[in-house]
Amino acid sequence: MVIVTAAQPIPDITRPEPRLILAMLKKGLELLIDNLKAEEVLRSLFRPGEKIGLKINTIGRRALSTRPETAVTLGLWLAQTVSREENIIIWDRTEEELKEAGYKLSTSSSSLRIMATDTRTIGYRRDPTVNRNIGSLFSRIQSELVEASISLAILKDHGLAGVTAGMKNYFGAIHNPNKYHDSNCDPYVAELFETDYIRKKHRLTILDALVVQYHRGPSFNPRWAENYQKLVFSLDPVAADTVGWKIIEELRARKGLPPLQEEKREPRYLLTAERLGLGQARLENIEIIETEV
Amino acid sequence: MDRREFLKISLAGSGLFFCPVMSGLQDGLFSATPVYSSTMSKVEARYYAKLPDREIRCDLCPRYCQLGDKERGFCGVRENQGGRYYTLVYGKVASLNVDPIEKKPFFHFLPGSETFSIATAGCNFSCKFCQNWEISQMRPEQVRNINLPPQVVVATAIEYRCPVVAYTYTEPVVFFEFMYDTCVLARRNGLKNAVVTAGFINPEPLEDLLKVVDAIKVDLKAFNQKFYTNYVKGELKPVLETIRRIVRAGAWLEIVYLVIPSLNDDPNEIKQMSRWLKQEIGPDYPIHFSRFHPMYLIKNLPPTPISTLEKLREIALAEGLNYVYVGNVPGHPGENTYCPKCGKLVIERYGYTIKKKELSKGQCRHCGQTIAGVWS
Repeated sequence: MVIVTAAQPIPDITRPEPRLILAMLKKGLELLIDNLKAEEVLRSLFRPGEKIGLKINTIGRRALSTRPETAVTLGLWLAQTVSREENIIIWDRTEEELKEAGYKLSTSSSSLRIMATDTRTIGYRRDPTVNRNIGSLFSRIQSELVEASISLAILKDHGLAGVTAGMKNYFGAIHNPNKYHDSNCDPYVAELFETDYIRKKHRLTILDALVVQYHRGPSFNPRWAENYQKLVFSLDPVAADTVGWKIIEELRARKGLPPLQEEKREPRYLLTAERLGLGQARLENIEIIETEV
Repeated sequence: MDRREFLKISLAGSGLFFCPVMSGLQDGLFSATPVYSSTMSKVEARYYAKLPDREIRCDLCPRYCQLGDKERGFCGVRENQGGRYYTLVYGKVASLNVDPIEKKPFFHFLPGSETFSIATAGCNFSCKFCQNWEISQMRPEQVRNINLPPQVVVATAIEYRCPVVAYTYTEPVVFFEFMYDTCVLARRNGLKNAVVTAGFINPEPLEDLLKVVDAIKVDLKAFNQKFYTNYVKGELKPVLETIRRIVRAGAWLEIVYLVIPSLNDDPNEIKQMSRWLKQEIGPDYPIHFSRFHPMYLIKNLPPTPISTLEKLREIALAEGLNYVYVGNVPGHPGENTYCPKCGKLVIERYGYTIKKKELSKGQCRHCGQTIAGVWS
C-alpha cells in the first residue's frame, strides 16, 4: 500500500498537471512491489496486449470525479508500457456523467477509448449474474470487453456506506446499484466484488484522493471537501479502502466531526470482504508506505 | 384488421410488451416508426422532505430513502437533483397492453372487462423471483419508454373501449405521481382505476390514492418477515397495514399469494395468514394462490406442484375464507367462483376467459346469496 503526496500545492486541483500525475503514478507503482521499476510493476500486473478497463467514478461532476488528467495519463502510460491505446477503456455508467466530469468521449478503434455502459452498442448483459445476495446485470464493458481491471476511484464519505472508494466503485458496473444500499451496503459491496467479472479481473486499486469528501458525501460539498493532493495505490482492494477509511476518519477528526461509527455508518463491508478472502481489512495488517513527489 | 385486433395479436402470449405497436397512438394514428423516448421526465415528486445540504428524504414508501444530490432511491426512478426530488418516469411508459381484468388477476371486479394496462420501470422491492424483472428491476434509462402522459393514457383507454385503467406489471407506487394524475383524469372520464401493487407504501400517499382508485390487488409475498427480508428486501408489517386501509376506505381488494416451493408454502403459515385475513378484513375478499415458475434469480426451484396449491386452497377455505382461487393453472376448477352458501358454480373460468356466469345483480342465481364484489 503506497500513498503518494504532491509536495507542492496543486494550483487548480480540478485540473492537475498531467506531468505531475504521471510522476505520482510512477512513484506509487515503483514502491508497490519491492525491487521493481514502475514499468516492470505494470508488466507484472498485465499481459502484453491485454484489454484493460479503468473503472472511474464520475458521479460527482468535475469537482469530485476521477480526474481526466489522472485517468487519461494512466491510460496512455499503460498503452505505452504494456498494451495499445485501443486496448485501454476508461469508462463509467453514462456518457452524460463522463462529459460532466470533463471527459471527451472516444470510441475510436485506434486510440484510447473513453466510453460508458450507455454508449450505443454497449449496454448490459442480458442474463443476471448471481452471487450470494447479488443479482445484477453487468456492464458489457466489465464483463466482455476488458480482460483486466483497475479501479480508479474517488475517495469519499458516503451517507450510507460510510466510505466509498475502490470496491464500491464497481457499483457503477451493474444495472441496479440502488438495490444495494441497505444496511450500510453490507454485504453487497463485498459480494459484488466477489463475482467473477470483478474478482478475477481486478488487478489494481488507485484512489484519486486529490480532493477528499470527508463528510456529507458522496456528492460534492465544498464545505467538507479537503484538497488532499494524494494518490493511493494498492494491490489489495480491501486494504485500499481500509486505508481510505482511515484517511477520512483523520480528516473528520481534524475538523471536529465524530467518527463514522458514532453515526452508525462505519464501512462494515470491509470486514465482510476480509471474511470472503478478498483482502485485509485491519490496519495493523497493512503496511503503508508514504512518499512525496 | 383494426388496431384493436392488431394489438391483441401483437401481444398474444407476450405478457409484457415493449411498446412499438402503441407508439403511434399519441396522435391517434399507427405509425410505422415507433416514437421512443430516451429521456427521463423531470417532474417534482410528492411526499418528500428537504433536508440540510441539498439532501432529501423520500416519504413515499417505508424505506424513507435519504439521498444526496444526484442520488436515486431504492426504486431507481426518483432522483435528488440539487436538493429537489424528481420522478423520472412521469408519463414514461415502459410496458402497456390491453389485458382482460382476470389477468391482473381480479375475479370479483368487473369480470370480463378489458383493462388498459400500463407500467413504468422501477420497483421498491427486489424480489428474487420477480416475473417482470426486465422492467421492474431496471432504471428508466435502461428500458425503452414511450411518452404517454395521463391525457393520452385516458384517451387511448377510451378509444380502445377499456372501462378500466390498470397500473400494473412493475410497482405503481414508484410512479405514484403519474398514476395519481391518470387516476383523477380517468375517473373524470367515467373510467375505473385498478392498481396491482405489493402494498409497500406509506399511509399518507396511500390514503390519497384510495380517494381515486376503485380496486387494488395486493401481492402478499409471504406471511413472515424473514421471507420479506431474504427474498424481497422489504417489510411485511406495512403491507398488512395497507391491506387494512384499502378495505377501510371501501376500495375493492383482492390478494395474490405466489406460492414458491419450500420458501413460502408452509401450511401453518397459510393457516395463520387466513385467520389474520378473516379477522382483519373479513372472509369475502378473494385470495389467489398462484403458481410460481422459475424466473430471474430463482431458477433452481421447480414450478409449484398443483397439489400444493390445492392443499393451501383447502386450508384457506377451511379457515373460513369464502373466495379462494388457484392461479396460473388454466382449466383448474380452483379458477371458478363457487357460492359460499349453496356451493354451486357461479362463475366458470378458463384462464382469463369467462365461460359461464350464474350471477344476477351480484347474487347467486341458484340461491340468491350475495357474492361479494363489484359486478357492474
